[in-house]
Amino acid sequence: MKRIEYKVPDGKLVAAEAEAINGVLTKIKITGDFFMHPESTIKDLEDTLKGKQVAKLEKIINNFFDKSNIQLIGVSATDFLHVIKLSLADSS
Amino acid sequence: MDDWRLIDMRIEDASTQMAIDEAIAYARVSERNPNTIRLYRWNPSAVSVGYFQSILNEVDIDACKKFGFDIIRRITGGGAVFHDYNGEITYSLIAPDDDPKIPRDIVSSYKLICGCLIDGLKELGVESEFKPINDIIAGGRKISGNAQTRRYGVILQHGTVLVDCDVNKIFSVLKVSGVKISDKAIKSAEERVTSIRKYLGKDVSFEEGRNALIKGFENRLNIQLNPGELTDYEKTLVTQFKKKYQSNEWVYQR
Repeated sequence: MKRIEYKVPDGKLVAAEAEAINGVLTKIKITGDFFMHPESTIKDLEDTLKGKQVAKLEKIINNFFDKSNIQLIGVSATDFLHVIKLSLADSS
Repeated sequence: MDDWRLIDMRIEDASTQMAIDEAIAYARVSERNPNTIRLYRWNPSAVSVGYFQSILNEVDIDACKKFGFDIIRRITGGGAVFHDYNGEITYSLIAPDDDPKIPRDIVSSYKLICGCLIDGLKELGVESEFKPINDIIAGGRKISGNAQTRRYGVILQHGTVLVDCDVNKIFSVLKVSGVKISDKAIKSAEERVTSIRKYLGKDVSFEEGRNALIKGFENRLNIQLNPGELTDYEKTLVTQFKKKYQSNEWVYQR
């Protein structure tokens, strides 16, 4: 599982270590120097994504940030999806 | 003019400093502790990583151990920082997040609080400006990094003002993303970072830096800073939070 970094234009650095087996996300760790309030939400995001179909990640990530009272600074839901996909592409 | 508490230039290790910041924030849940500005220095010098950072990718752990530097994870996001005992002043600001002086919008509140530092730097002759999201630059180079969290009903922002910078030391303990540590990398980093002494080309003492920052906070926020101590409750909390900050479970969680 390789860590892939992505620098958000005019934003922060976000990195993902992701692994999928048979189209299902089995491992995911998101790191970086971005801001997310409340901070503990990052664990909830990772737990939400684990075990889900890769094809549905976009919808799941968007739902996650739509429904909850989370503030992102220097990174967006789209950036998370982007870097996770990069990591999956690299490890497949 | 509002009275705020000043916890002035305490010199402590990393886990104590981070525990004090969080204790003051947490205490507000159950007691009317005063709005607070802290100024402090880290002894031993330390590396702090942001809440979301991968510690093994950001920090050269062996180098820190060799130099005797502390390694800690903050409750705030943002990037890795080398807190050089001989090169920086750290501040923190803790106030209720509905305080009329503090914008609810996070980026606006960075701008306001960084404005205090910019005013302080100006007192010393350093012309600097806010660089969103959370930096201050002087002469195009970073002189201050800042990070905040909102929890326990308060805003906690802490950050660093470089008084001196030893770029070689910084890059012996911090790993530069995607760039091998080479002379070339250090040279370009040297062009990205500055300090009060480097900018002014003269010696400026920590005392002068402290005085200027206090003026900056007082003037920009229209407050009077009164030297004070931690409450008994805050001291109890410091002891509790220190255990978290010292634990591998916390520091190496990501």
